[in-house]
Amino acid sequence: MLKINGLKASINDKSILNGLDLEIKAGEVHAIMGPNGSGKSTLANVLSGKSGYEVSGDIAFDGENLNDVPIEERAQKGIFLAFQYPLEIPGVNTNNFLKTSLNTIRKSRGQKELDTLTFLKLVKEKSSELGIDEKFLSRQLNVGFSGGEKKKNEILQMKLLEPKLSILDETDSGLDIDALRIVADGVNSSKTEDNAFLIITHYQRLLDYIKPDFVHVLSKGKIIKTGRSDLGVQLEKSGYANL
Amino acid sequence: MIQNFNISNIKGISLEEKKLREESLRLFEKSGFPNKRIEEWKFTDLNKIITDNFKELSTNNLLPNINNIEKFKDFDHNFIVLIDGKLDSKNFKYEDEKFIKIENYKEDLIKNASTQNPLLNLNNALHEGGFFLEISSNYKVNKPLVIYNYFSNSIQNKIVNNKNLIVLNENSELKIVEFNLDSVKENYIQNNHTNIKISKNSTLKNYTVQGCKSNGFYYKFIKCLLNEKSNYEDYIFSSGLKFNRIEEDVDIIGEESNCTIQSALSLDVDSHQEIKTQINHLKPNCTSYQKIKNVLNKNCKGAFQGKIFVKDVAQKTDAYQLSKALILNESSEFNAKPELEIYADDVKCSHGSTSGSMNEDSIYYLMSRGITRKNAMELLIKAFLFEVADSIKDDEIKKFIEKNLDRQIYGY
Repeated sequence: MLKINGLKASINDKSILNGLDLEIKAGEVHAIMGPNGSGKSTLANVLSGKSGYEVSGDIAFDGENLNDVPIEERAQKGIFLAFQYPLEIPGVNTNNFLKTSLNTIRKSRGQKELDTLTFLKLVKEKSSELGIDEKFLSRQLNVGFSGGEKKKNEILQMKLLEPKLSILDETDSGLDIDALRIVADGVNSSKTEDNAFLIITHYQRLLDYIKPDFVHVLSKGKIIKTGRSDLGVQLEKSGYANL
Repeated sequence: MIQNFNISNIKGISLEEKKLREESLRLFEKSGFPNKRIEEWKFTDLNKIITDNFKELSTNNLLPNINNIEKFKDFDHNFIVLIDGKLDSKNFKYEDEKFIKIENYKEDLIKNASTQNPLLNLNNALHEGGFFLEISSNYKVNKPLVIYNYFSNSIQNKIVNNKNLIVLNENSELKIVEFNLDSVKENYIQNNHTNIKISKNSTLKNYTVQGCKSNGFYYKFIKCLLNEKSNYEDYIFSSGLKFNRIEEDVDIIGEESNCTIQSALSLDVDSHQEIKTQINHLKPNCTSYQKIKNVLNKNCKGAFQGKIFVKDVAQKTDAYQLSKALILNESSEFNAKPELEIYADDVKCSHGSTSGSMNEDSIYYLMSRGITRKNAMELLIKAFLFEVADSIKDDEIKKFIEKNLDRQIYGY
């Protein structure tokens, strides 16, 4: 599904990713761990198409080179980034935003746009699975939401948009145990043979709930070690310094 | 520019009045249209704007050939129709009509005086049409009054000068939706002077909504008197005009009164919009609140000049003023000039002003959800402007405003 070859990225002449290779197949869950400043969030941003980076190397998604594909088209093709710090956007109604997003993506896939009633029914069902109070949906996007509520809102969007590849950028940070479990359940229940997940995290904690098929260690902008799920457990004990 | 301003065509005025009008016209002719040398117009060279956009300009003596203006059905309302500034029809079927007086504006209602304001002098000299509306004591008007302010194609290259007077007697209430519409293919000017008197315990809520893209150049001067425990709320939603300057001069002359002015102006390309306010706190224990928002597209100029004056006796005044501008293109310019003049020592007055471009992080977030850049910007523009409507409690009016705002932003 995703094939990254020799990916380099720099910002203001500071190089952050230094030749990263990664392949993710449909049905797989990958975790990327690594110390602060190793380039984890940059990888997520670059995959989403965020501007401001000097990028070289190749990113192929379903066999198509993504290098020149703009942000919204990547999303329409099925790449989803759950943000580490979801933005507060005053004045934009959450429901209205969700509907605009879902219908734009449905349209790009050649699916019929949902009318308001069908949409509301769907969003109600998905949000109750995540324990999101309906009241939040009529509020301004992320404004005044707690850290946990913002993260749940990201997972709600993921569940609504049904992307092929979901990138979770430190979704576990700032979550209490209960919220962490809800988020993990949200991911686990979305797993199919046709989609894939890339989970970026500092800690093993989230991986206790979402079992990865592969764990990669990112350091100085490169993957320096890849292992199975026990690698995370091992890292938790020994730290990154011993690698 | 060929200018033809003629008083002798105005019908039904006394010799004495004619003299006063001639004096006003002489004052106007001495100054001409305002330019940047006048402090109140330092951000706006109206003289240049008018010379650039009009080859000729004259007063309007034609009667429009209009039978019926279509009324919207978004909510039940009373209405009056102004065509080219003149009172054309009225309908107060939701009210007990004996409590409502509506007629043509008459000069003896207000004494004209010469002013430093060239456009007001011009209005004093040439005004025709307009309306006088009075609500009796203890009457709360049931349904909103919609003013269909319509300009017909007969006023191209013309200037309409008119005056309105709105009087709310004690314990009365009125909501007005001023809905501006036109079918004018060439440029035209509206120069309006509105006087508002709100008596004790009364409330006027006024909503201005621009119904269509327009070749109009609008100037509106509002003078408002607020008596004890009265409330004046003015919401201005406008876009699509070539030029729009609204001046509000509010005298708070009774205790425990409130004045709220909120505006959301969205500028198309090559246009100019400006709000100028002066709130005079002349009595204690009053509040005023102003929130002014502007979106500027290409080659636009916007300005906000807001003055809060607090007299020495006006203790416990609570006055707030905020201006925010969103500039979408480097070719545009926004100026803000807040002024506080305070002579009382126990007051709370604050003001703030920001202007900046669109938040790229917000655009990125929306685009990462599949939304195109254009749609993301539209969502954010609407969010920026519609915040002004947050405090409107009347849902049907709010919906109507939103619909018209959508049309301006999304172009449908």
